Parts: sequence; C-alpha cells; structure tokens
Amino acid sequence: MRRTLIVGAAGAAALALTLTACSGSDSGESDGVTTVTLLSWTGEEQMTPVIEDFEASNPDVKIEASYSPPVAEYIQTLQTRVLSGTAPDVFLIAAENKTNLIDAGSVIDLAGEPFMENIAEFNRETYGRDGAEYGLSTSSWAAGYAYNKEMLAEVGYDGIPETWDEFLEMCKKLQDAGHTPFLESVDQMPTTVSAMVGAKTAEMDPSVDDLIFSGESTFEEQWTPIVEEYNRLYTEGIVSSDVVALDGDQVRDEFANERVAIINAGPWIIGAVKEANPELDFTFGQIPGLADGAPYQAGAASPGYAINSASDEAHQEAAKTFLAYLSSPQGVEVMQAQTNDVTVTDDFEPPVDPVFEPMVEPIRSGDLYLPMISWQRSEDILNVEAVAQMQRMIQGQIEPVDVTKAMDAKLATS
Amino acid sequence: MNRAFLIPAIVVFVFLFVIPLGQSFYWSLTDFTGYDPELSFIGLANYSTILNDPSMLAGLGFTLMFAVGTMVVVTLVAIPLAVQMNKAFFGKNFVRSLWFFPAVPSMAILGLVWSYILSPLPSGVLNTLLNRWFGVDAVSWLSDDTLARWSVVFVGVWAQAGWHAVLYLAYLQSIPHEYYEVAKIDGASPRQQFFGITLPLLTPAMVISSFLLLTNGLKVFDLPYTLTGGGPGFSTYTITQSIIVSGVSQGRYGLASALAVMFTVAVGVIGFSQLKLTSVISRRFV
Repeated sequence: MRRTLIVGAAGAAALALTLTACSGSDSGESDGVTTVTLLSWTGEEQMTPVIEDFEASNPDVKIEASYSPPVAEYIQTLQTRVLSGTAPDVFLIAAENKTNLIDAGSVIDLAGEPFMENIAEFNRETYGRDGAEYGLSTSSWAAGYAYNKEMLAEVGYDGIPETWDEFLEMCKKLQDAGHTPFLESVDQMPTTVSAMVGAKTAEMDPSVDDLIFSGESTFEEQWTPIVEEYNRLYTEGIVSSDVVALDGDQVRDEFANERVAIINAGPWIIGAVKEANPELDFTFGQIPGLADGAPYQAGAASPGYAINSASDEAHQEAAKTFLAYLSSPQGVEVMQAQTNDVTVTDDFEPPVDPVFEPMVEPIRSGDLYLPMISWQRSEDILNVEAVAQMQRMIQGQIEPVDVTKAMDAKLATS
Repeated sequence: MNRAFLIPAIVVFVFLFVIPLGQSFYWSLTDFTGYDPELSFIGLANYSTILNDPSMLAGLGFTLMFAVGTMVVVTLVAIPLAVQMNKAFFGKNFVRSLWFFPAVPSMAILGLVWSYILSPLPSGVLNTLLNRWFGVDAVSWLSDDTLARWSVVFVGVWAQAGWHAVLYLAYLQSIPHEYYEVAKIDGASPRQQFFGITLPLLTPAMVISSFLLLTNGLKVFDLPYTLTGGGPGFSTYTITQSIIVSGVSQGRYGLASALAVMFTVAVGVIGFSQLKLTSVISRRFV
C-alpha cells in the first residue's frame, strides 16, 4: 500500500514537473535566443523549409511551430488558446476570426512597421481597421472561370466573353452543341455573385458595403439586380438546379473529365485537374460583367500573420523579426516555392502556372472582392443565410428579391 | 463500501456533464464571444433571440425526422436481420461482419463517400447504374428537399442497422431453445413463434436500441454535414449544426450555449419519456 502511494506520488510529481516544463517552454529565452511560438495553418511539410531558412539567417530567434489545418479547426484551436491565455506569439488572422480578434484586442497594430511597406495596400487594408493594420498578408487568391479551350473553340469562342449577356449566349451555343456549358458549386457564396458585386463596388465611393452597413442602403437595393442576373442561369435552363448539392471537388472532377465546359474555380484545382487529365487544354478567365460593369473576379487577401498582444515585449520584437523575414524577397521566395501562392509584395515577382496567368494581374492589383471578408460585421451569419437562400432560389422556391430581403432581415437581427 | 464503486462514475458525470452543462448555462446568460473573457450578463436575451428567430430553429424539423425515422426504420430492419443471422448457414460469420462493417468508419467518412454515390449529376454512381440498367434519367437525390432528407435518413439506417442487429442477436441468443421446441410441439407456426416468443423477449433490447437511436439521432451532426452540408437551403440542417455554426463559426457562444441548454433539456425530456414508455410496454411482455 505504502509502495503504491509512493509510486503514485512520484508519478504525480513527474507529471507536474512535465507540465511545468511545458508551460514554461513557450516563453523561453536562453543564451540570447528568443523562442517565438507560431500556430501555422500552412502544413508542417511546407512550413519547415521556411522556418529553417529563417533560423539560418536569424540565429537569435527560434521558431517553435504548431500546426492546425484550415479553416474551422484552425479557428477553433486558436480561439481556445486565445481564451485560455496560451495563444502563440504569431498566428493567422483570417476572414473568419478577423472581427473577433480585433474586437477582443488580441492582436497588435503593425502599421508603420518597415516590413509592411512592400505589402499591397489591398492586403494591408483587408486585415485592418480605422488606419490600424493587424495582419501581414503576403499573397492573395482569386477565383474566376476555368474553361475547356477545345469546347469553347467548337462554338466559335477563344475565351470567356466580357459581358454577362454574351456569356449566357455562349452557354446556349455550348448546350446546342451537346455540352454541359457551366457548373458552379453553391455550397459557398457563388463566385459569380461575389465577382459581380465586386465589379459594382469597385466603381462606387462609398462602397456597396459602406452603404449597407451604415444603414444608408440595403442588400435588397444593392444586390437584387445582380442576384436576378445570376438567377438567369437557372431560369433560362442553362444550368441544372442539381448544383445545389455539389461541392467544389465534384464540380472540378466534372471539368477534369471533360463533362462540362466552364466551371467556377481558383488555382487550387490546377494540380488535381492536370493529374486527372494531363491532356486537357484549359485556362482561366475573369467573370463577365453586367451591362454596366467590367469583368471581375472573386478573391481576397490570404490570411495574414498577426502578433499576439498578450506576448511580452521581447517576444513581440522577435516575432516582428520573423514577420520581417516573411515579407522580405528571400522569405517570400522560399514560402512561394512551397505554397505556389500569387504573392503581392512589390519586390518579388512570383512564378505562376501558365494556365492561371490571366488572373495574376488582377490579383496583384487587388481587384478582388469577397463578401465574407468585406462585410463589416456578422460575416458568417450573413454568409450562411445568403447561401441557404440562394440554394432555395435556384430550386425555384423563392425569388431573387426574397434572398436579399432575408439578408437584410438577418443583418437587422444580428 | 459497495457505494465506493460509484465514485469513478460520479466523478466522470460531474466533470464531463454537470460542470460543462452549468458553464453552458452561465454562458447562455451572457454575450460571450469565445475570444474576450470580459463578458456581460444579458439575462434571458439569448433565449428570447432563439425563440424569435426562425432560422435558429431551422434544424428542428429535420432533426426530429432523422431521429424518429432512423429509430423506426432501423428497428424494423435490424430485428428480422438479427433473426436471419441467428440461423445456421454457410458464411454466417462473414455475413455478420459485412452487416456490422458500416458501423466501423466514422459517419463523416460515410457521408463523404455517399455524397459521390448519391450525386444528382448523371455521372453520380447510383445515377450511372440506374441509367445503365434501367434507362432511368438522373435522379436529384441530394438536390431535392424531400429526396435529400430521405437520403440522409437512408444512409443513417444503412450505417446503423447492422450494429443494432448485432445487439438484437445477443439478446436472441439468450432466449432458451426450449421455448421454441415447446411451441413447435404445440403446433405454432414460425410466424406465431416470432410474434409469440421472439418479439416479446426482445423488448429489453428494443428499449436499449431505440433509446440509443433516438438520442444519437437527436444530436446528429456529422452525417448530414458531410452528405448535404445542411442543404439544399435549410432542408437537412440540424440543431447540432446550428449550435456549432453559431458558436464556433460565428463567435456567438452565448447564443449557442442557450440553444445547447434548451436542446439538452429537450433531449432529456424526450429520452426520459421514451424510456418510460418502452419500460411500460416491456413490462407487459416480460
């Protein structure tokens, strides 16, 4: 009995020592080396070369990385760590947690830091508020239309037309030629709607969102004409309402197997499509504009690296050294080689897959719009409501104006 | 002394149920966002929001349909299946394993696999087979509200029927053979033996099985989430999805906690009522 007690006590002591050691490791500073903790959503395989290169050129800072995959799991992990006071020194600020992190004062202002100067203004503003900048975002992404060149050539086109009417006309010709013209997954906000709202807001000052969120206008007023145009895809029989049950991967597989001519897509499909069908001749194009708008694309600044406001000064300084590396031409080059992102720093030109070349200039210019990240509050609440109501509209259960009215109602109660 | 054996169970119950439930109730009275530890007490405002916002309860109808639907259909499928698997035939163990297999992978994985099988496109696995064998046009399995709901229920039944059949099988094997031999001597037909001996003696198993099915069905999340994402529209949305989306994705932990508290109470009431009802039925037969 006594032996059991001793073994038990020794075990408890060992556990306590281990836990004490663990809790102290994230604030370690010894031999002039400061350990910066990082919660990355880029995978370990991709992040390790970046960290190794950083540590080689900055021997006084060590990065202790932990990993959590995007998006929901990352947001949950970070949120738990922020609340429990164990958040890392550096973490990602993204569309999904931007408002909460800024409101809770969990991130420090990076405006004026030298490493922010070469970052595109669009990216700095995306993770900023009232002149403050909270995230170092070195790349952006965009989604447009990926199209099968041969199928389009068959009906006399060499690219996506610039206007929506011409696009619908082309789709009908593809249909007459026996092809499924277009598929767009609607498990998220449709790329087409995002781009059309983006094209509209790019021409406005104040923006569509400024008007809606200040109460000067409504979704019904600003969005209804766009949603009505989008709905023509379904009311004119160009696209089947079955898209409400498809996700991006299923749409991509249809495209890779040459069962559809055009899909909504971003650079993330390129590898999978080429692997599934190396012979497929495809490229990307911008989303056509409405009668009064130019072609545009859906997209946003990639999540930015933020510094924990609860970290002490020494760790914040060391974290800034890491961020300075990430925005340097050397850091951007090493990271870009791992992720293939389209980077937006002004001192590095990213190599890009030729099929995605048409989208690079709009990305680097910041001609992007994504409602989820541009909305000024209740982002996910509005997104869930909008997607569900658009699915109902596509099924013919409600009209476009009902979609936008539902969004207004949701905004009013959230 | 014997009561000391209850201590581990009580500790688990207190730490994994009572304390989290109490904390959820506390949060449900606040505007907790999940990020800022400084929260304000807002009384019953979250409960009022839930009761006045139809979209918060959008998942209620389908959750009840799934829970009751799977409970009834699984029970109807599992009992005859268990009776058949209790007979001697070649490859009996293989057949038992085959039926049990769907219970092994997680529901999330099954949902992803079935989303390809039930894809409404002509290239969907099931639609391809139906077209090849019967010349049937593509069916909108997951893109029509009604079909989507029943598709989720079907996959839920497919995934759970084998597991519950094994549960019934265990009870079947405890029924003494003498009962059947006496019944045969008295001239009872197989049908009469089933309804006169097998079914009444399976009522304790039915109590357990239906209770598990009902409570698991009420808290279902992973299967509809991966199979349909809750759509089309809100047609396969569940209460648990509503709690998770409101809390984690939307940073409204106070509101999600209020919904969780209401849901826990409702599940408790339904589960307790079901147990009382089945125990009354059980006492009539056993």
